Amino acid sequence: MDALGHLLSGFAAALSLHYLLYAFAGCILGTLIGVLPGLGPAAGTAILIPLTFSLDPTGAIIMLSAIYYGAMYGGTITSVLINVPGEAASVVTCIDGHQMARQGRAGSALGIAAIGSFVGGTLATVALVVVAMPLATLALKFGPAEFFALMVAGLCLVVGLAGKNILAALLMTVIGLLLSLIGLDPVRGAPRFTFGVEELFDGIGFVPVVMGLFGVAELLLAAETRQTHMIQAELKSWMPTRQECKDCIGAILRGTGVGFVLGLIPGVGAIVPTFMAYVLEKRVSKTPERFGKGAIEGVASAETANNAYANAAMVPLLALGIPSSPTIAVLMGAFIINGIQPGPFLFAEQPKLVWTVIASFFVGNVLLLILNLPLVGLWAKLLKIPFSYMCAGVLIFCVIGAYGLKQSLFDVWVMLGFGIIGYLLRKLDFPIAPAILALILGPMMEKSLRTTLEISGGSFAIFLDRPVALVLLAIPVIVIGFLLFKPRSLAPLRESDVD
Amino acid sequence: MLIRRRTLLAASAAATVASPAIAQNYPRRAVQLVVAFPPGGSTDVGARILAAMAEKDFGQPITVVNKAGAGGQIGFTEIARARPDGYTLGFLNLPGMNTITLDPERKAAFTIDSFIPIVNQVLDPGFIWAKGDSPYKTLADLVDAAKKNPGKISACTTGILSDDHLAILMVQEAAKCEFRIVHFDGGAQQLTGVLGGHVDVAFDNVGSVFKRVGTGEILGLAVTDTQRSKFLPQIPTTPELGMPSVISNSTRGVGAPKGTPADICKIVETAFLKAINSAEMKEKMDAVGLALKPMVGAEYAKYYADLQAQAKKYTEWALKMR
Amino acid sequence: MRQGRLIATGAMLVFCLFAIWQSLLLSLTDRLGPGPGFFPFWLALIGAVLAVALLITTFREAADPSVAETRILPHGDGGKRWLAIVVLLAAVTVAMEFVGFRIAMLAFNAVLVIALGERRWWVIAVFAILGSFGVYYVFTTWLDVLLPVSWFGF
Repeated sequence: MDALGHLLSGFAAALSLHYLLYAFAGCILGTLIGVLPGLGPAAGTAILIPLTFSLDPTGAIIMLSAIYYGAMYGGTITSVLINVPGEAASVVTCIDGHQMARQGRAGSALGIAAIGSFVGGTLATVALVVVAMPLATLALKFGPAEFFALMVAGLCLVVGLAGKNILAALLMTVIGLLLSLIGLDPVRGAPRFTFGVEELFDGIGFVPVVMGLFGVAELLLAAETRQTHMIQAELKSWMPTRQECKDCIGAILRGTGVGFVLGLIPGVGAIVPTFMAYVLEKRVSKTPERFGKGAIEGVASAETANNAYANAAMVPLLALGIPSSPTIAVLMGAFIINGIQPGPFLFAEQPKLVWTVIASFFVGNVLLLILNLPLVGLWAKLLKIPFSYMCAGVLIFCVIGAYGLKQSLFDVWVMLGFGIIGYLLRKLDFPIAPAILALILGPMMEKSLRTTLEISGGSFAIFLDRPVALVLLAIPVIVIGFLLFKPRSLAPLRESDVD
Repeated sequence: MLIRRRTLLAASAAATVASPAIAQNYPRRAVQLVVAFPPGGSTDVGARILAAMAEKDFGQPITVVNKAGAGGQIGFTEIARARPDGYTLGFLNLPGMNTITLDPERKAAFTIDSFIPIVNQVLDPGFIWAKGDSPYKTLADLVDAAKKNPGKISACTTGILSDDHLAILMVQEAAKCEFRIVHFDGGAQQLTGVLGGHVDVAFDNVGSVFKRVGTGEILGLAVTDTQRSKFLPQIPTTPELGMPSVISNSTRGVGAPKGTPADICKIVETAFLKAINSAEMKEKMDAVGLALKPMVGAEYAKYYADLQAQAKKYTEWALKMR
Repeated sequence: MRQGRLIATGAMLVFCLFAIWQSLLLSLTDRLGPGPGFFPFWLALIGAVLAVALLITTFREAADPSVAETRILPHGDGGKRWLAIVVLLAAVTVAMEFVGFRIAMLAFNAVLVIALGERRWWVIAVFAILGSFGVYYVFTTWLDVLLPVSWFGF
């Protein structure tokens, strides 16, 4: 069967009532997570993993994917209404979106964000259908050497985002990698850094660490500054006008392109595509001075790129088994927990599941559009939950999430410990994202490096013989070198673009 | 509610004391079946079929949980460390499990006595294969090449000191040649490695790849068993090819952590054995190329103990290489 | 801020040095190829070099007078709320082992919302019960997630 045939049967499955319900529930929960400040998609998806324990794998994946999209999407609402990005990907949306809200055009901003996300998500899924199969075949050429190089490149691209904080980001990457090595050596089985603690043989659990670094740390930060209620923003308009939509067609299409291409490259993360789409839009615009003062194209480009990225990032996950961002890494963990190993053979061996999930991406995008437009007011009301209850509620979920995976109170302690560490790192302006990504990539990276050296008989020259690996390894060296030694020439360019 | 409380209570308080109340009501909730290899490998496939069929009689869901890595050690450690309340069972892969306990560097947190073997499911013979368009068309081609270029031909295993690793050592000894040994985490990685041209030859088991022999994707060189596999009747055995000493296979059965009450083990044995002996099981296992070898009680216990002695010899070879 | 960064970087340096020492106890390379200590050793070495470099650059950075020194450690009213969350989370983790999820969470919810400023007793009661017994029921009955139960079966 060709891709189209697979996809159609996938639609038949995805449109069955219970999967539709899972997708719908996931969209609602995800949007909720996105709306709640301080709970990005990574933390949100991690927190909701226990909810999917009792579903069948397909249902669990559909629901988690829907949660992921919903979360990527929900951050927009708080960004626009109160200038609080629910997650990194919505930072760019704040720039023009909140300005629009101040002008009483919140409805236009939210509307165009919903439409842009829908178009970006749908077009990216179409591209995923077209590209995923060839990529899956191409993936065989990716040997351990290329995997290692790819992971190094991915980590370094994330480090490259840290701007002037580059040394700290590199150090955090190394710390994350070292933490990921706790437990049994993946090749020989020798225990490392376990100090005889049995709970550590299996390694430090990723879910408790993420819940600590994101969820608990965020609450600790919020608790310090008095937070009682969120401001009520007045919604004057509900929909963008026809003229506004027309103005945004170009922005939406360009945003889709930028988001999709960057989504294919693992390690880029959601903030880069939104930032680049925004910069591109400003460059293309005939009136760049409007940007930052409520330009609807700014909102449209960033939001479209955000969702196009979210869908495209599924390609490396499904076809290569590589998580491209912390959120996707959480999602991949959920796949594995549910008995699905994403990788080159997934398409061949579980085509029904893959295509059902891909079909559910389309369905999810439609559901999100349906949900988001009329429910904006309701979502906003959630922000009026007093901070104390929000805090207690999130902590209950964190405790259950950390404990439930392995029924281990040790993991709850790990979560608390990393909560405090995460709080301190945020206060000290140490970037956390590289450490999170490193924690996920670490074991894979070590395994692929050691397998590579086993293949080459211990010689590093193998990387010189493999052009793809060599190119991939050269990228980070150039990027990091450039950032380390020429930070000044970059900084003004960035600032002027955002201002 | 009452029972769950009691199970947890018993588990945390006195792990090894068998409470009749537990067994009477066992199983009251989902049982985890730990597989020490990644999803998609033949252990996993067999376990999933078994779990799906046994849960009908069992009355509760049986969830397969993959804990892969270090040639199964991570998963086996998980089984050994689990609460012996019957709610964590695991697949025991022999001889892989034996060799782990025999390698001092691995500081295994379990010994062979940490498990109660309950019922064996599969005996999967070893299988040596190469890429479909490989220059090595026969085992003799491969061995000659390895003799000419010692340590240059790469051969991959499904984990260090797995049965596949031992099979490589046996071929090296029998043919006086030397391979470059690459350790992967399971059958799926071997496929990527060999089909992608990163490794020359895979030492594997029949079940993982027998379907792909028919498609021409891979080229079967030999089955390391005394008789031809019913799934690959066209592939010669190692004794036929003049290597009678190269006999390697993998058996996979269900076990429980030490201390699991005997009556619970009996309930598991009854349910699983019924599933293994059913016609539906045979049909499903034939489809994936896994040969059934039901063993329970004394027979399985003896096999389990005998293998330990045998594995000791191989492991010492492997350790000498270090 | 600068001082805090110096301390944090110093701690990471110590962590890396410790990791180097631990990796040296494992085999780095042997006849079978790179050993268990190989990757952690080189990583930790790179980490240590990075930490030293960061220490030096942070040290050299003159304190920026235009930026007010932000307090790193929590203080004042906010500090009390901060401490309440940390202490209560630690307490509930200890308590769950002995009194089970439901009782521990009941107390946790009540004390936490009071510590964060809630005073209406009936709201506190409803929330605490829903957040403990209610959540327990949903997760164990509907979602099959095991939660800690006390020694006395509650």
